[in-house]
Amino acid sequence: MKRTLILILIGFALALWPLGGYQEGIVILMCINCIAAMGVSILTGFTGIFTLGHAAYMALGAYTTAILTVRYGVHWFPAVIAGGLMAVIIAWLIGIPTLKLTGDYYAIASIGLGEAIRLILENWQSFTRGARGFPGIDPYTTRTMAVVIFIVLAILMFNLLDSRLGRELRASRDDGTAASLMGFNTPRTRMKALVISAFFCGIAGSLLGGYMSFIQPSMFDMMKSTELTAVVVFGGLGSMSGTILGSAAITLIMEYFRDISQYRMLIYGLLLVVIMVFRPEGLLGSHEVWELLRWRRKNNA
Amino acid sequence: MAFTFSTFIQQVINGLSLGSVYALIAVGYSLVYSILLFSNFAHGGFLVVGGYACYYLLTQWGYGVSVSMFGALIASGITAVITERLAYKPIRERTSLTLYLLIASMGVNIIIENLFVVTVGGRIRALPQNTFPTGVFSLWGGVTLSASDILSLVTAVIFLGLLQVFLNRTRWGLAIRAAACDIRTAGLMGVNVTFLISLVFFVAGVLAAVGGIFLSVRYSLYPQLGSITTKAFIAAVIGGLGSLPGAVVGSLILGLAEMLTAGFISSQMRDLVVYSLLVIMLLIRPAGFFGKEISEKI
Repeated sequence: MKRTLILILIGFALALWPLGGYQEGIVILMCINCIAAMGVSILTGFTGIFTLGHAAYMALGAYTTAILTVRYGVHWFPAVIAGGLMAVIIAWLIGIPTLKLTGDYYAIASIGLGEAIRLILENWQSFTRGARGFPGIDPYTTRTMAVVIFIVLAILMFNLLDSRLGRELRASRDDGTAASLMGFNTPRTRMKALVISAFFCGIAGSLLGGYMSFIQPSMFDMMKSTELTAVVVFGGLGSMSGTILGSAAITLIMEYFRDISQYRMLIYGLLLVVIMVFRPEGLLGSHEVWELLRWRRKNNA
Repeated sequence: MAFTFSTFIQQVINGLSLGSVYALIAVGYSLVYSILLFSNFAHGGFLVVGGYACYYLLTQWGYGVSVSMFGALIASGITAVITERLAYKPIRERTSLTLYLLIASMGVNIIIENLFVVTVGGRIRALPQNTFPTGVFSLWGGVTLSASDILSLVTAVIFLGLLQVFLNRTRWGLAIRAAACDIRTAGLMGVNVTFLISLVFFVAGVLAAVGGIFLSVRYSLYPQLGSITTKAFIAAVIGGLGSLPGAVVGSLILGLAEMLTAGFISSQMRDLVVYSLLVIMLLIRPAGFFGKEISEKI
């Protein structure tokens, strides 16, 4: 309850704090990145399925929303939801055969699937306008709207992790065999995690389309997928608040280095290696931020 | 596009030539996987180092072809060893989770790629014209066989043969094969594991450089050239991760599939075919053609 209130307060601050146009853009981008990172976090951090293809779900969301709003004149709200649902449907279809794979094998399969989706979008000229991109999307993503969607999804996500489903996910991550002996249907658990994560990424993609008003298949390539997973590891596997903090931090850092864009990717690569070498458990480890605060208070007392 | 026999033969030749380059890259990658059980995404970076080293030795310092190639192989091998020492070794010592190694290797790949972007620029370069023989032989019915096709096939056979001899006939080769079975036991039997891993990375780097040089002859040289290793990873998975014959067979299958698709369907479809092949293979037989069947992976 207290957590929900704090999240809502953060939301008000993000949405109402007077900012210039440039800073407003950063806030929108931060919300979008956080939504996508939350999606990957529930799959990689909480269920232990390592993915390198989730940018494809962002692409599906972005294209679905763009085509619905531009070509069929649908209002942005149902179109964004449809974007999330499209990602869910495709993820479910893909998940049936591939979720049997574990470890590096699923990771490599997800590269193949992600790239295949991107290539289909790129080659389906008549429907997606191909590699040159899809211009003229109504800029429906405003700061308030991005913040509201982010906060709503974050509240849902935190409650979901505290629910029975959250415990199921962690159990099948920590020891799949033990979890299935305890009576959890682990294949179904993994599927639920995949579908939820695809929904979050789809929504993030839809919002990105509305923010940029232009999308292109190459925006959702393997680099982007890697970035999503790297952000989750940076925040700490198994920590949702860590994911959000990590994603926000990376967005700000990358934005800070925009002027020296040549060195941006170099710094990003160095950051990845340095984190893995010196703090592989990420910012918060597998703890949520309030758990750490509580411990500190206890130790001080 | 009509099916003609000469197009078929032509595309088979192109496919084998491309497949042999993939094989050089895939074998190195598979070798590292067989010892450390993680996908080394920095492999593409080693390849780029090899390509650029060859380019600069040829153009800036004016060395001959053989010296430049040798220098490139050494440079790439050393890069691989340094990467292992600086980035992977501390992680290996701390945790057994290969996920961290995977992400670190992606970081290394990004670093190497962008080091070249920052220092020499993203411009596309070509190796000097007369570096390698460029003749084209006409066979029957319009089928041509270029000297570089023959050269890449022959070089791939030579290097893979040398690797085979090294693995099967030398003491360190035996140690590497032992470590591929069980690295801890190999260590207990008195193998210097730290040196062994460096050696494996050196060999992988050398093979990557050979692949890199041929890729820069076939296409051109640019910092993102390493991204082509994704195809070699796929070839290694199709053949069976960690299996060297598997990596070669997978590479040839992939090269043929790509070129036949380009010849008979459309060249835009070739990447899509590659990724579909990967997914289908993983569904039918995740361990690949030659991989060890391990229940945990399925």
